[in-house]
Amino acid sequence: MKSEAMTEEAASSARQGAPEIADAGQPSAEHVISVADVTKRYGSKKEVQVTAVDTVSLAVSRGEFVVITGRSGSGKTTLLNLISGLTTPTAGHVVLDGVELWSLSDRQRSRLRNEHIGFVFQFPSLVPSLNVLENVMLPRAFGGNHVGDDVESRARMLLSTVGLEEKAAAHPRQLSAGQQQRVVLARSLVNRPTIILADEPSSNLDETTEQEIMELFERVHETTGVTILMVTHTSQLISWGTRSVRMAAGRIIGDEPVAQARSTQD
Amino acid sequence: MTLLHLALKDISRNAFRSWAIFLCALLVAGLALATLLITRGAQDSLELAVDRLGADIIVVPQGSETTVESALLMGTPTQVWMPEERIGDVRNVDGVSQASSQLYLTSLKNAACCSVENMFMVAYDPETDFTIQPWLEKNLGGGLSLGEVVGGTFVFVPEGEQNIKLYNYLLTLKANLEPTGSNLDQSMFLTLETARDMSRMSRERAEEPLVIPEGKISAILVKVADGADPDAVAVQILKDVPGVTPVVSPKMFGTFRDQMSAALSSMVLVLSLTLGLSLVFIALVFSMATHERRREIGVLRALGASRAAVVRSLLVQAVILTCAGAVIGAVLAAIGIYLFRDYIVTRVGFPFLFPSLSGLFSFLMVGLAIALCGVLLAVVAPAVRVSRQDPAHAMRE
Ligand SMILES: Nc1ncnc2c1ncn2[C@@H]1O[C@H](COP(=O)(O)OP(=O)(O)O)[C@@H](O)[C@H]1O
Ligand SMILES: [Mg+2]
Repeated sequence: MKSEAMTEEAASSARQGAPEIADAGQPSAEHVISVADVTKRYGSKKEVQVTAVDTVSLAVSRGEFVVITGRSGSGKTTLLNLISGLTTPTAGHVVLDGVELWSLSDRQRSRLRNEHIGFVFQFPSLVPSLNVLENVMLPRAFGGNHVGDDVESRARMLLSTVGLEEKAAAHPRQLSAGQQQRVVLARSLVNRPTIILADEPSSNLDETTEQEIMELFERVHETTGVTILMVTHTSQLISWGTRSVRMAAGRIIGDEPVAQARSTQD
Repeated sequence: MTLLHLALKDISRNAFRSWAIFLCALLVAGLALATLLITRGAQDSLELAVDRLGADIIVVPQGSETTVESALLMGTPTQVWMPEERIGDVRNVDGVSQASSQLYLTSLKNAACCSVENMFMVAYDPETDFTIQPWLEKNLGGGLSLGEVVGGTFVFVPEGEQNIKLYNYLLTLKANLEPTGSNLDQSMFLTLETARDMSRMSRERAEEPLVIPEGKISAILVKVADGADPDAVAVQILKDVPGVTPVVSPKMFGTFRDQMSAALSSMVLVLSLTLGLSLVFIALVFSMATHERRREIGVLRALGASRAAVVRSLLVQAVILTCAGAVIGAVLAAIGIYLFRDYIVTRVGFPFLFPSLSGLFSFLMVGLAIALCGVLLAVVAPAVRVSRQDPAHAMRE
């Protein structure tokens, strides 16, 4: 994350937040994402409490492609939501490029999310009333002026990257599920994020379409050097990443680099 | 791609919610404007009538004050008589400085000059008059001569003719008065001499003569001496002069004032009820609509919309819809009242003046303000609630 791209407020909050992290003895400066002993518990009554994420620590360096696997309910989505600041941790710290997320105001945190994180969701997430081009440009409505280029030409360029430039004027309902996910990927890139969080982006797609989407992710990763955290529903997709993290019952039970296995596979 | 653009797209999408807000705003602003228009207009018309009367006290035959009031306010034709000696009696009362008699006459049915069935005519005495004469001198540079009349706003000379013909008598229209919002706009002022001349001629020329009873008058307008208390003078007139009822000008049109305030309170009641119900309805519909869209709002939060931006976007939509609804409602109400003003005047039983464009505009602004405050009140809570929800939670399910 480029600190000159952050707001003055965010930057000063970052300076205030930093010593706290240093005290916790966690590495942060060289890591894009640094999660330290984070716990997320749901439910107010003791007996019905669910610990979705249980004292998880994870540090991700710039340019990594982390694939997170684990059974349903193991806390993968919750971990992504904790990293993006969409949900409040019950305990622990989330630091993005040296900035403690929860030391920021809602406005600053939203801004940081807008400028530095791209999202690809499991469910259809395009705004139905906007056409494809408008959907791709949507994040700019909430800020993103730091990018400093013509948003429409950038959106069109991204649409051609995902092979949908001729669908710019179409509405989401006119697209197939796979096409919609490609638009979502284009949307996630419009503000030149440092991190892409993808939650089972291909779980609703057939195998061929899944292959196409994964190839797109790989291309984006190679050409932009963006850091990707991707949750997948099947361990078959691990080989697309550079690092594999496995979760079970809210904990990380495996974390290892991926050898360049996939290229030898096909 | 701006927040406003997104808000506008959303309006067309949430059709039910949008119509609900639009129509409620239309109803509330329309009702508010109608209430203002009718009550303010009636007030203005009443004040104008009191003003135009220009007398401190009006003395009428005993028991006829209500019919005379309705004649002077609404232009409803009336025939009331008292002996002309009463004017001398009134002049003798202490504190009376001037007194002048008037005759109230009714024209033939369906005269060519006017759209009313029977026209109300006031004949005044130029020798003693102190209410009409000053106006004539100021506006016409002199009083009326034999055969000349001044008419209400809507009195006109028939197409292709030089005069108004009444009882086969030719009258010259010298000027028109300002609008009053009642049938007074169809009435006429003339001198006693003209009235008597017309009456005399009508016996020979007209099918039906204009009858003015010998030695009778309809009313006496009184101006009190400087420093005299009109109420005290009126009491004195009541004591000294037999067979008459004196009415002090601030107390004129009392029955109309009562009717007006009754009508006003029922209109305010209807307005408040409509406003209250609209608020509850809008709050419900708006809550439902935002609840339905909570996943989408969660996505917007993920894309970087702050809580404040979510609230702002929802409020902007409500404000746009309210403004559109309120302006259309107010304009419809204004047009409706303008078109049916004659019917309303006869139905509600008091006159009202349609305001000038600038007055209308300020009423419109008041209606808009009421609708806006109401709608914002109704949607702020649901908007804030949906913005405070946990986006992660909203995006599950
Ligand atoms: N908003 C929530 N309220 C209550 N429980 C939740 C909520 N979100 C997640 N959970 C629970 O937390 C656990 C982890 O969920 P999740 O992170 O969605 O797992 P995964 O994405 O790996 O399937 C599950 O048991 C789930 O039921
Ligand atoms: Mg999940």
